Amino acid sequence: MPQGRPVKRAYPALLLPGAAVYLGFFFLPLAGLFRESFRQFTPGGVGSAANAPFTLANYSELLTPSFAEFFLETMRISLLASLTGLLFAFPLAYWLARRLSPGWRATAVGFFVTLMFLSVLVRTYALELTLGAAGPLRPILLGVGIFPNGRGYIELLVAGGLLHYIVPMATLTLLATIQNVDPRLFDAAQNLGAPGWKAHLTITLPLCARGLLAAFLFSFTFSISAFVIPMILGKGRVLFISNLIYNRFSEVADYPSGAAISIVLFAVALTIVYVTSRQLHRRSMP
Amino acid sequence: MTQLTRRHTLKGAAAIGAVTIIGDTLGSTRRAAAATEITAVEWGGDVVNAMKQIEAKQNQVKVNWVLHQGGSGAILPKIKASWPHPEYDYVSGWEGSFNGMVKEDWLVPVSVETVPNLADIPQKIIVKNAKGEWAAVPRAIGGIYCAYRKDTSPVEVKSLDDLFDTRLKGKICWPGPTQAMMLPLVALALHAGGNEHNMDPGWALMKKLAQSGNIGRIGVTDTDFSTSLTSGETSVGFYSEPQLTAVAKSFPVVRLTKQAGMPTFLYQSGFAILKNRPNLTATLAFVNHCISPEMSSLYAQVAGEAPLNVKAKTPEALKHLSFTPEEMNKYVYFPDFNEVLSQQDAWTKRWESEIAPLL
Repeated sequence: MPQGRPVKRAYPALLLPGAAVYLGFFFLPLAGLFRESFRQFTPGGVGSAANAPFTLANYSELLTPSFAEFFLETMRISLLASLTGLLFAFPLAYWLARRLSPGWRATAVGFFVTLMFLSVLVRTYALELTLGAAGPLRPILLGVGIFPNGRGYIELLVAGGLLHYIVPMATLTLLATIQNVDPRLFDAAQNLGAPGWKAHLTITLPLCARGLLAAFLFSFTFSISAFVIPMILGKGRVLFISNLIYNRFSEVADYPSGAAISIVLFAVALTIVYVTSRQLHRRSMP
Repeated sequence: MTQLTRRHTLKGAAAIGAVTIIGDTLGSTRRAAAATEITAVEWGGDVVNAMKQIEAKQNQVKVNWVLHQGGSGAILPKIKASWPHPEYDYVSGWEGSFNGMVKEDWLVPVSVETVPNLADIPQKIIVKNAKGEWAAVPRAIGGIYCAYRKDTSPVEVKSLDDLFDTRLKGKICWPGPTQAMMLPLVALALHAGGNEHNMDPGWALMKKLAQSGNIGRIGVTDTDFSTSLTSGETSVGFYSEPQLTAVAKSFPVVRLTKQAGMPTFLYQSGFAILKNRPNLTATLAFVNHCISPEMSSLYAQVAGEAPLNVKAKTPEALKHLSFTPEEMNKYVYFPDFNEVLSQQDAWTKRWESEIAPLL
């Protein structure tokens, strides 16, 4: 490089298009939503009036045990589906990475990608028709004492619907992680006398921790914001926060209340992501 | 012999292209002159089927059909987002959505001058704006009432008390808080000694029903209800006419519109014509066509809502919505719609806090 000539750094300019998209389609609408959440709603109107006063009522009405229950139910079912999804996805991803030939691995990856392109609506209705109260499994369910219109079964059905989407997504995420782990480390552990399960616990899992976290966060954030799956499989009895938000915006046109719920959900989700990431970061530091 | 050169070929191609473009433009102009295009929001299922058949009976207007997604109120945020340039020429709806649109001053006032067939519609039912002008065009009347599938219901429901029968465990499809203006809840209030102004008895009964385990599904869309009853997932419901008609096409349905102790609510469905659209004349002409006696009869036959045009024929299958004055007094309840509509937000929130956790 010739001496005395400064190197032009084009990096900030390269960020501009992405920043513009984020500003226009994420931050500004979020700011609008945040502002709307403090406006007063007059029933009968559509959203808040142009000169509506500011109020904290939209947030104070969320401080009820019943509303907390909606959040807890959303979190509980999402957590259940996400963790179960990881339990299925990790062995699947490991098998894909270690046991399949490159050709078959490519076919399997293609299969999972195709699964993800299938319409969520189609898959959800397929589950509803097969596992629902009027489906072909009804006699079997009743035979083993499961009431298909019972609340517990409906919650399981919603979790199952989420799982249907989570497993392919988590598998593909973990596949790359596992492929980056040197298989010779596992072999070395076994050569030193460690049984297979211990080698996995002490070598494979810790080295895949970041990938597991990424897969968990993808799955969890997908689950807590799921709308179609709880709407169809939940039978109107298992409601996620997204369903409440939809009701506010689309059915009763109470935009301020819908905005308040959205902001709370956003804050809770961000907090969970931050805390989980920070915990993992601390544990991975020497 | 003429030599074919590149120049000749290019000239020929240009000539053919020009003729094609001119011909296509003329053709489009002719087609456009023949039929004006409007965009309409309609209910799905049999309602839009009926409207397509009505469209086919005229050739002045071509309609782009957009279907409602969810309750009637779901379209209002979309209109608000694009106001003052809405994307729809008319929106089908009922008292609930009309009220919201009237408050926002979105609607073109109508009259017998602009929609002549309004002369044959009972004027009492027409929704008015704050200035007393007619704000929407009614086309049909439907009912919200209790009904059950005779072939799958283990109980012959004769009273709202029968909904608590233990044999109906998981067999009831009840409308969610954004459906049917929560009039089924008003029915419970009436049964328990209250009304739309005093809903506490209704809420108490609703809690009891939610705790009973008899509710198998809460219908959050129209298709939820018709699918639930058609598939046999549930057998009893308190819902509105087109959905019950859809179920009754294939299965025996007992409609409790003239059952003592079981209130029936009547609603109008119709057209709300939006301001600031370029094809107002064509839209008014199409709406006028839709509420003519012949088209009202056709609509009633296909969509399952009784015609409002006094010259139209009510099909035999909709006689359950035809009431003598004595029957009207005995079985039909006319709530204070202003109260009902103004309470939708509060009732929805109360449902979420008191009823949803019990389901």
